[in-house]
Amino acid sequence: MFKNVLIPISSEFYNKHVLERGFSLAETFKSKINLIYIIEEKTLNQTDRLTISYRTPYEIAETKKEIIREQKLAADSIIFEDAEYFFKNKNISFTSKIHQGEFSRVIKNELEKKDYDLVLMGFNKECVLNYRLFDEVKIPIWVVNKNDGKSILAVCSNLAPNIKVPDLSLKLSKVFNLELNMIYVIDMEDSVQVDEKIKRSDKKTEKDLMFIAESFIQKMKEKGINVILLKGSFEKEVINATEKYNPKLVIIGREQKKKGLLGLPVKNFKRKMVEKCNYSILYVN
Amino acid sequence: MLIDNKFLKNLLKIRNRKGIFFIILAFLIVAIFYIAPTPHGLTHNGQVMIGILIMAAILWITEAIPLAVTGLLIMIIQPMLHVMSPNDVFSSFGNQAIFFLIGAFILAGAIEKNPRFFTLGIMTTCAFLSFIMPGHGVAALFLPIIASILIAMKIIPKQSNFGKISMLSVAFGCSIGSLGTLIGGARNIYAVGVLSDIGINITFFDWMKYSMPVVLIALPLVWLVLQFSFPIEIKDISVARKEIKKQVTEQGKMSKNEFIVLIILIITILLWIFFSSNQYFGLAVIAILGCVLLFLTGVVNWKDVEKRVPWGIILLYGGAITLGIGIYETGAGTWMADQIFIMAGVNIYLVILMMIVLTVLLTNVMSNIGAVAILLPIGIAVAPVAGISPLLSSMIIALSGGLAFMFIISTPGNAITYSSGYFSIRDLFKAGIFANIICIVIVYLVALLYWIGVLGLHNM
Repeated sequence: MFKNVLIPISSEFYNKHVLERGFSLAETFKSKINLIYIIEEKTLNQTDRLTISYRTPYEIAETKKEIIREQKLAADSIIFEDAEYFFKNKNISFTSKIHQGEFSRVIKNELEKKDYDLVLMGFNKECVLNYRLFDEVKIPIWVVNKNDGKSILAVCSNLAPNIKVPDLSLKLSKVFNLELNMIYVIDMEDSVQVDEKIKRSDKKTEKDLMFIAESFIQKMKEKGINVILLKGSFEKEVINATEKYNPKLVIIGREQKKKGLLGLPVKNFKRKMVEKCNYSILYVN
Repeated sequence: MLIDNKFLKNLLKIRNRKGIFFIILAFLIVAIFYIAPTPHGLTHNGQVMIGILIMAAILWITEAIPLAVTGLLIMIIQPMLHVMSPNDVFSSFGNQAIFFLIGAFILAGAIEKNPRFFTLGIMTTCAFLSFIMPGHGVAALFLPIIASILIAMKIIPKQSNFGKISMLSVAFGCSIGSLGTLIGGARNIYAVGVLSDIGINITFFDWMKYSMPVVLIALPLVWLVLQFSFPIEIKDISVARKEIKKQVTEQGKMSKNEFIVLIILIITILLWIFFSSNQYFGLAVIAILGCVLLFLTGVVNWKDVEKRVPWGIILLYGGAITLGIGIYETGAGTWMADQIFIMAGVNIYLVILMMIVLTVLLTNVMSNIGAVAILLPIGIAVAPVAGISPLLSSMIIALSGGLAFMFIISTPGNAITYSSGYFSIRDLFKAGIFANIICIVIVYLVALLYWIGVLGLHNM
């Protein structure tokens, strides 16, 4: 598990806790850490676009060159130096490189080139980054938050196939020696059932959803996992549960929420979860 | 059916749909104003000019086409709709403000060639440097310098208040400094250009006399806003000092060319201060004289001019000046002012406050050039009805137009410094909103106590 970890750090945002978490994962799983620093193209383009009427192409190119030079310098003197402290000095195998491009696209390209089994990253909602990768990447994504609790919260629901989450959360709770709390949320705003092929069913009655939930809970009970059943909005119930259980990590599966309050379409669901949650989230995609 | 049309498909590829919508909307408004019945008290030409003003506002706010192209459009649409003759429109483009602008850009380009003037303290230095070159040029000059210092200090982007304040000081310092002199911001030159066309001549020194109190009061107060918004967490800045010393050493002694540029710049500024009111000199002649000296001494060549002079802005201002003149001469401005005061009543204190607030709001959500170009003709028209002079309303709008602190899109200086990564959009808004409130109060008090109370600008 987690043998080859990709840590992308955007020029827009650097969170030292990501390297700390990378170090603890590498120690536990004997992982190889691959660090990429991404000079965010969106910021560069935005600066170009906003100054094009005022400045000549030569001046714009000059400023862009300066920004890239400074960001490379920042990567070398701050981030890679921290990485050396966390990894190299402790004999953890690690590589580092700098890329220029759009955050999600660079990560997806990198994942195509090499076999990674985890993306470990930070998050900042005040950036220009769109975090498309939450929906587009097929391997697990661990979003590090500084709040650090003492348990694992596994989240299952009618909106996900709930296959990988139970197994993975059980394994991680054993490896990290943490208490496992599992919840099953019946989302009343989007009352469909997602099957093993991640297909959404037609709208189901509350009674049907309850029946499926109870059979899942029964299955988990046989594995020795106690599951708490919750009803309401997926986002709200999960956030409330995190406040209750104070977890080190929240594990969420391939939730396919498409409808929100009053049946309105839901956009950037996973990103919004990360924005609202004060704890680290592992998306098991 | 429409989408099958090859031309439309290609057009959609080139421009986004939103852009096309705003372009169509802008032209539709002009068409409506052209064919609609004319209300009492307004001429048909005046009505069309109001339509052109709204069209310009839509295109400048949405930036559906480049700002400069909107300027060109304003110039050609007036003769096409028989509002003004081509001669009148293009003669407005020969306003000395345009040539002053060209000269100022060439002079600024000569300074921008070497990043030297930076050791006096970030915000003040940026502000003072913005007196002699455009604010965004200063921001671009300071970005690598401040970033190097912060990197040397191992300041982590977005996490350190010291990093935030340092970069925001550059952005805000440039904005405040750009109010101080005519060359600080092209909108200042535009205001002077429009005023000279209605017979009010402002010299370089006059402008400084009017604007400096705002700059000198705003600088320390906005600096305090930054200190309160982001309490600095570090105590030792010895690394920063070392980095500054290193950069100064790397720059070495002043070269012969740099010395010549400095001398020519000082001569030009002195000529502006003492001779810009002279009928045979004037702002533009002195600016061009400075440029000619730069060429004659060989410190600047035409390639440098091509690299450093944004001709688009000059076209934009040409268009904006013709818009202002058109609004004034067709009586559209006076009619709009009458309508506003019939609805709101005349209260000089309220009018001044509204002008400041409206300009600050508009300049924050669109380019400050566009904001001033839209509001100045209206402000000049409103002035006599409200019992104030066009000079006072122009000063209020031109200076308020430079107070763009809240968003990245507000001014290029904000966008350039944001690209450093040291502050977030939220940080900018948090500090910017307070800085804007403080500056609205400052401009309001300066307008009432100094411009009206001491200088009597309301009667000039």
